[in-house]
Amino acid sequence: MEFDMQRIAFTLRRDVVLLKNTFLTGILVGSIILFLLSLFNMIWDQKLSPDEFLGSFNLCLFPLGVLFTFTVFREFHDPKLNASFLTLPLAAGERLVAKWLLCVPLFIFSFSVVGILIGFFALLCGAFLFQAPFDSTILFQARYWKTIFLFGLVQPVFMVGALSFSKNRLGKTVLILGLLFVGFLFFNFIGFGVLNHDFGIFYGNEITSEAFDEASSDFSTIGKWFYGLIFGPVMLWVSYLKIKEKQV
Amino acid sequence: MLTVRNLSFAYPKAPTVLNSIDLGLQQGSIYGLFGKNGEGKSTLLKLMCGALYPQRGQCVLDGEIMQNRKASALQKLFFVPESFDLPSLHLSQFEQIQSPFYPNFNHENFHAILKEFKVPHQGLLSKLSYGQKKKVLLAFGLAANTSVLLMDEPTNGLDIPSKTTFRKILASYLSEDTCALIATHQVRDLHSLIDHILVLEQGQLIFAASLLEVTDALWFGPKAQAKGASPLYIESGFKGRGIYPRNTLPESEVDLELLFNGLLTHPSQITTLFKSKTAAYGV
Repeated sequence: MEFDMQRIAFTLRRDVVLLKNTFLTGILVGSIILFLLSLFNMIWDQKLSPDEFLGSFNLCLFPLGVLFTFTVFREFHDPKLNASFLTLPLAAGERLVAKWLLCVPLFIFSFSVVGILIGFFALLCGAFLFQAPFDSTILFQARYWKTIFLFGLVQPVFMVGALSFSKNRLGKTVLILGLLFVGFLFFNFIGFGVLNHDFGIFYGNEITSEAFDEASSDFSTIGKWFYGLIFGPVMLWVSYLKIKEKQV
Repeated sequence: MLTVRNLSFAYPKAPTVLNSIDLGLQQGSIYGLFGKNGEGKSTLLKLMCGALYPQRGQCVLDGEIMQNRKASALQKLFFVPESFDLPSLHLSQFEQIQSPFYPNFNHENFHAILKEFKVPHQGLLSKLSYGQKKKVLLAFGLAANTSVLLMDEPTNGLDIPSKTTFRKILASYLSEDTCALIATHQVRDLHSLIDHILVLEQGQLIFAASLLEVTDALWFGPKAQAKGASPLYIESGFKGRGIYPRNTLPESEVDLELLFNGLLTHPSQITTLFKSKTAAYGV
């Protein structure tokens, strides 16, 4: 299997140059929304809690990251660009790694740096406008890493969507995810019904919630690994196959 | 160099476009691929560069199957598509981000070709006309110094002086190690440039011969000068130019348009003279 770091670096540079305007516009829009959300949060109780800031940060990071992913893969479907892109001397693995590096680590790093700066600015404005306490520690939370981990798991799903559909890519991806969710829900419901019918236990019973609590504490680690594997590495592997099979 | 073996292709829910094509391209040659609209010229080029995958057969470049789209194989090939777009970048930025992918890229040649094409260095590439954009891509393709250069309708969008410049540039900058394949339906544009003729018709390669072979086998000219030879194809018109078996006739300049029309009208009469060579041409 061909894998050349130099070619990946060339591709990263190429994509950054080609997409810099889109990237900067996205970051700017995200910054404005983050600033306004942080400010609005301080209006009611004259303070910005860690939960509020991280919530606002996530609210901007996820949609922006997803939209950026779809933009990065646009040249795969554009009939005027795809032939030139597919014949660019790059192996499928190199294409995937370069695009992933751009959409995940580079995007997260850029938006996090901007997020911290915007947070500082929002805190300064809050202190000036609403006499809110200036506590910069709220910008640095351990739970931030969980957010990043979650983004890293979710992003490949949208990467598959961006590669699979040529029209209405975001809409179709969300629709498939919605259908999957409904499918899991039904599966869960039917499974619950089949397993518990004889015991006369139904949703909403107190004993049911206890059972769920038990199950979630017992199987949460397995569940995390299972879903982490589906939404992360497996989806990256599917993306690799999609890149390999892509034709003009 | 680039070999096409038993290649067949059909788009989804559509009839077969290409059927059992066998072809070998040799370095230092310029091939003209002719055919009517929709005969599969562009499709064949896209299959050769790995942008499309065949249903049967394969394209092999220096031992690498193009369908695998290996970087090492793609480095040896540059494809100028008919339909394309250039990014909203300055020429220098475009050169900076694209050229590192081609190890033999010659920056001096790139600028020299652009100068000959009179392409402005200022401004964004996206603001250029289609013809100017094509010149940029052609210049890039020639400067990339790849073993194979595939061009789909390269003269589409070029004005008349630029077509002449294109012929001159291709003759001057194409290295002896490079093989160029030009797909076009504008036969006249390639006159005096190509040295091999390939004709696609109804999904098959009905004719493949070098210009030398054509000159040896056929005579092109008006009936009055044919010394009573019976024509293989004759065009109704003022002088009634036709294609005749050469036999004892003197050497004549190959009339590509006449040959193309003759091949489409009475293919069997002309191709029988080349039949043994056309099947699996160059392979």
